[in-house]
Parts: sequence; structure tokens; C-alpha cells
Amino acid sequence: MLFFSYFKELVGKEVTVELKNDLAIRGTLHSVDQYLNIKLENTRVVEQDKYPHMLSVKNCFIRGSVVRYVLLPPDGVDVDILHDATRREARGG
Amino acid sequence: MSIISGLEDLVDETISVITNDGRNIVGILKGYDQATNLIMDESHERVYSTRTGVEQLVLGLYIIRGDNISVVGELDEDLDSNLDLSQLRAQPLKPVMH
Amino acid sequence: MATEEDSAVKEPLDLIRLSLDERIYVKLRSDRELRGKLHAYDQHLNMILGDVEEVITTVEIDDETYEEIVKTSKRVVPYLFVRGDGVILVSPPLRTS
Repeated sequence: MLFFSYFKELVGKEVTVELKNDLAIRGTLHSVDQYLNIKLENTRVVEQDKYPHMLSVKNCFIRGSVVRYVLLPPDGVDVDILHDATRREARGG
Repeated sequence: MSIISGLEDLVDETISVITNDGRNIVGILKGYDQATNLIMDESHERVYSTRTGVEQLVLGLYIIRGDNISVVGELDEDLDSNLDLSQLRAQPLKPVMH
Repeated sequence: MATEEDSAVKEPLDLIRLSLDERIYVKLRSDRELRGKLHAYDQHLNMILGDVEEVITTVEIDDETYEEIVKTSKRVVPYLFVRGDGVILVSPPLRTS
């Protein structure tokens, strides 16, 4: 639940989602669900010349299972809150 | 905030799907479930190559199992009609390596 | 203040809990390695790392000599969420060169 809650707080911010097929998609986080499926708006592929496959896509749904990384905006990370939430989660689990 | 809000607004819209084996399938979303299984109608595959433009293969009615789906994109019809697919050259997408 | 219970290591994830706010080493699938400060994790080993250095190792075969050419590329990311299913191992600080 920790990361589901975290990403819900991040809605509206710009992120880059890097997939396990090396495709990197940048966009505004629109929503997330408990599987960490991610919906982005106003998307653009980071290496558009190499990957023109999504040129006519501006909104997309990314399946959580194919996500490798999410590059986070520095103003979207509060390390103290994350530490507390992680310790709480570790006790509960 | 749930998966339901993820795809409900795309039903009856044209979508562009990227599968885990790197294929790109475009069609009309007719249905889906919580496992991201998709029903697509009037679908076709766009085959990318570095030698020729994009080739389109007619597929028709397709059900794609959610486990094999990477990305479901909403196809912007205006942007898409301005694309000259016959001039577009690219390496096929790599498969997803889990 | 860490109580005795907080610092006891009974299972693998306890060791990771003790690495919170420390720099750790993470080995990932597809020949990727990360070094960064651990800010959050869960039982799947999903993580958020800060000041991350990623090293990707690729091996190319020379067309003529068929020799293996090992190349590494590096990049630095301020904050990174890492999905746990790609994690092979996590190592606490000072145990890596």
C-alpha cells in the first residue's frame, strides 16, 4: 500500500516512466491503482526519433508489471515522510 | 483512482496497444477487465521496419490477454491522420524483458 | 532511539530496514546496477532511491574478431522508484567496493 499511497499523492506531477522494453514515456501522472498501473496525460516518448511508435498517443495507460523505473520529480519526494511510512509498513508487514 | 477509471473512458475509442513482444496493434476498444484483458474490434497491426514504411496488417476482432500488454494509448485521430506512415521508419520495439 | 526490537535482524527484510537512509547497492535484471540512498521500500522490494547512479553493462561481439567487448554506461538520477520484480539483490552500505 505504501507506494500506491505515495503515487496517489504524486498525481498531477510530471514523471518519466521507463519500461522493461527500454521505452521511456514522460507525462503528467493522472492516476494509479493498487497494481501500480499508471495513467499518464500529455505524454511524449523520451527518444521520439528512435521510438516513433506512440507519436499519435497523448494519453496512455501503462501496465504496472512492465514498469522498470519511475523517475520522480525532486519536489515530489519528502524523505522524512517516506522513512516514517516505510517503518510503519515494515512493522505492519 | 482505481483501474476502472483507467480504461472506461477509452471504450468505443481507437486505441494503440503495445504488447510485451513489441508489437503495435491499433483498433477500437470494445471491452476490458481488471486483468487488462482487452477486446479490440477492427484492429490492425502496424509493423515497423528500418527499410520500408510502416506496413499495416488487418487483424479484425482480437482479444489480447492482459499479461501480454505493456501500454494502452488513446489514439489522437487528428495527430494520427497527419502521420505519413509510409515514410515512417523505425526499429521494431524490443520485447519486454521481465 | 532504536530499541532492541528495532535493531534485531530476524529475516532478510530486517536488514534492509536497517539500511533506510543509507546508500545501498542494488543489482537488477538486464545487467543494471544501482547505488543510491534508500528512502522507501516495501515487501516486494519496490524502492525509492535518492542520488542514484545507474550502471548498465552491455556486451557486444566484434564483427571481425568475435571478441566480446564489454561496455558500461552511467547516468545519475535525483530520485528513482524501482519496481521490485527487477531486483536480484540488495546490499547494505560498506559491503561493496
